[in-house]
Formats: sequence, structure tokens, C-alpha cells
Amino acid sequence: MVVQPQRDWLSFYQEEDDHSAMVHLSSNSITTDADNDVGLGRSRLVLKKGIAEFYDESSGIWENIWGDHMHHGFYDDGSSVSLSDHRLAQIRMIEEALSFASVPSEEEKNTSTAKIPRRIVDVGCGIGGSSRYLARKYGAECQGITLSPVQAERANALALSQGLSDKVSFQVADALEQPFSDGQFDLVWSMESGEHVPNKMKFVNELVRVAAPGSTIIIVTWCHRELAEAEDTLQPWEKELLDKICQAYFLPSWCSAADYVKLLQSFSVEDIRTADWTRYVAPFWPAVLQSAFTWKGLTSLLRSGFKTIKGALVMPLMIEGYKKSVIKFTVITCRKPK
Amino acid sequence: MRLLTHNMLSCNVKGVTNGFPLIIQADKVLEKPAELNHDFLRNMFYKVDWKALVDAAKSMGYSELPESAEASMLESLDFLNRFHHALMELHLEEGALICPETGRKFPVDKGIPNMLLHEDEV
Repeated sequence: MVVQPQRDWLSFYQEEDDHSAMVHLSSNSITTDADNDVGLGRSRLVLKKGIAEFYDESSGIWENIWGDHMHHGFYDDGSSVSLSDHRLAQIRMIEEALSFASVPSEEEKNTSTAKIPRRIVDVGCGIGGSSRYLARKYGAECQGITLSPVQAERANALALSQGLSDKVSFQVADALEQPFSDGQFDLVWSMESGEHVPNKMKFVNELVRVAAPGSTIIIVTWCHRELAEAEDTLQPWEKELLDKICQAYFLPSWCSAADYVKLLQSFSVEDIRTADWTRYVAPFWPAVLQSAFTWKGLTSLLRSGFKTIKGALVMPLMIEGYKKSVIKFTVITCRKPK
Repeated sequence: MRLLTHNMLSCNVKGVTNGFPLIIQADKVLEKPAELNHDFLRNMFYKVDWKALVDAAKSMGYSELPESAEASMLESLDFLNRFHHALMELHLEEGALICPETGRKFPVDKGIPNMLLHEDEV
């Protein structure tokens, strides 16, 4: 990894380019080469294509076994869970995130300064599980964006079959160039999509840009652990672990929760809060692994493509990453001032 | 894609300052009935760019919206019906959204707009 002299930390997150680069894991942003932000030696276009193809290929299989929520479940600390509890846990994840961000419901509207969501954007919407859930919960209108045309089409079809096509709609678009005018949404939702985004600064910039005054921004994402005072970077074995995960899941780079907080602080947002929910998601990957080894799982994988199989093979590394406290399942929220 | 969505979309190609509203090339338009929701329409009325909606509806073949509108018109069921129809029941299935400044076309396929930018537009 190229080390550069001290520079303004913001520029680290602002630069991105098409150079071939070593895998970059953001750590102490001041001393790392911003040009490596894209990571994996690929241009941004190749990354986007990889992400789109990965999800085009694997979404159907995921949905077949796990349903329409493509995110971690939220479990009680130390609980043992059966396979049927996971869907409830995934719904609980949404509710816990809303609760953490103090998003008011209709009953609470007079006691809260935040807006009740009427217009929601789901950034990295998958097949629209969160979008449809949030639209139903708040009676709100929701726009979802995804890089995957297959996902957008499936999301629309599910909305139609659930009688929600007047409330939710999906576009193929990039989180780094959201196709919306400024200040459109009361709730800006990013559930496990930030990992795919190469330029975290631009990602956060877009989330803040499309948020209306008084709105709430919620990011649930995979981060790496915080670095100690004396540390410039993660340990080599940690980087190696995350590299392999990056390769399989088309993740350009990782940062820490503190990095996200720092980015948000550079915008005029208030009430920035973050939490480490790693212990609440512990049962998830073991369950996914288990589901891959069922008859249904194995036959689906064999029928799927190389990208999906590679993704499945890397699951034990996610488990290892969590167990060894390299990966942190993180929630970050803030409010855009009125 | 409904006009509710269209009213929020803009062209974010680098350097474009006037990317809204996108001009509609309506190759295939479908009308899909939807239940009218008074509260929803009232909320949306204040958020919608009215001129953009009127022009977009015309390009989809619907010219029954008044050229300008004010909140008091929400009390008229006739107005609500027209507003509802334009906003929620007209669907662009095939066609394109065109940037008013650059002419860049964003294709709409099976009702899904593809707003991805090319490398040189970012």
C-alpha cells in the first residue's frame, strides 16, 4: 500500500479514479493513498458491473431460500435461533434501526422534532424488502435504487403482487450519483449497501444531499474495527481476510464507524449516533451457511453461476471476521437540520 | 414509471446545472388504475413541481390538468381525480427520459428508468 505524506483527510475520501490499485483498506485516512480508494485493481465501471452481475445472478437464489430481505437479522444476545426465526429477525433489524434513529411514528409526531417519513429513498434497495416494509409501515412513498436491473424488475413485480405498486418504485441508479433533486426525502435509508460504494465521502454527500430538512439518515453497514491510537492501519492478516471478502462480494474498500462519523461531521448534520451491533447479528452467517448446505441450497448453488458460488465459499470468512472482531456490524444515524 | 417518480428525477451528469425536469419520450404508456388516497395527494401536492407534472402528463397523452394549481383546488374532487390520474395512474413503460440541458437519454425499459451515468459523465 502506498503511503503518502500528511494530507487533508477529506481529500482521501474525495478522490477516486481508474488506476489499477492494490486492495485498499481505509484505515488512518491521513496517511493512505486516496487514489487507492477504488481498490481491487479495477476501475469503478468494472466494480459496478461486477456488483450488478453478482446480484443479477444471485438474487433469485437468495430470495428462494431467504425471502425478500437481503440483510442481517437482529437477534437477542446469545440466543439460539431456528431457521424460521430469521425472517422475523430481519424485520426486527429494520425496526431496531428506525428505533435507534428515533424516527417518529404517527403517534409520536407531536413529541418529536423529526419528520414522519412520507417520502423515503432506499439506497441499494435489493429486491425491495425494506422499501415495501417501510412504505407499508408509514403509508409512505418509497423510491429504491439498485445497480442490478434484475433486482429492480423483481422489486417492482413484488410490489405489484403485494398491492404496493402505487407506493414504491425502483430505478437502476448509482448511490454515488443519485438521480434525484436535492432534499426530496424524509427518510434516507441505506441498509447494507454502503459496503459496495467506493467513495465513502461522495456516498455520504449524496445521502445528505437528497435528504430534506428535518429528515433522518440511517446507514447500516459493515465496517472494520476501530484502529488503536498507535495504529496506522489494520494488521496484515486482517487486511488479507477482508481482501478475500472484498473479492467475492465486490466490495471496494472498508472503513471504520469512526470514519463514517468523521465524514458526517464534515456536513452540517446533527445528532450523529453510531453503535456496534456485531453481537446482535452473530447467528446470521452460520444460518446462511447452514442454508447453503441444505438440499435446496446446494442444488440452487450448483445451478447458479460462479459469482454466487464464490460468494457462498467466502461465508466462513465473514464468520471469522466477526468472531475475531475485525468486522463490525454498524448502524449510523443523523438528522438533517430544519 | 409514474409521474410521481418523474417529478423527483433529475440528470446529474457532471457540469449540468439544469437537469430538471427530464423530457419524456413516451414510446409506450400504460394506464393502471390506482386507489385514490386524499391524504397522500394533499401531502404530495406541496412537494410536486406542478409545471413539470403538467408538461410530463401532456407528453404522456393527458392534457386535463390545469396549467397552474393552488392548494384550495384540493377541495374539488374533480381536481383530485385529475391530479391522481396524472401522478399515479399514467405509467411510462418504454421510452426515455431526456436531459433538458444536454439531450442525454436515460432509457426506460419495462417501466424501470436506468439512470446510471457513463464514466465520462461523472
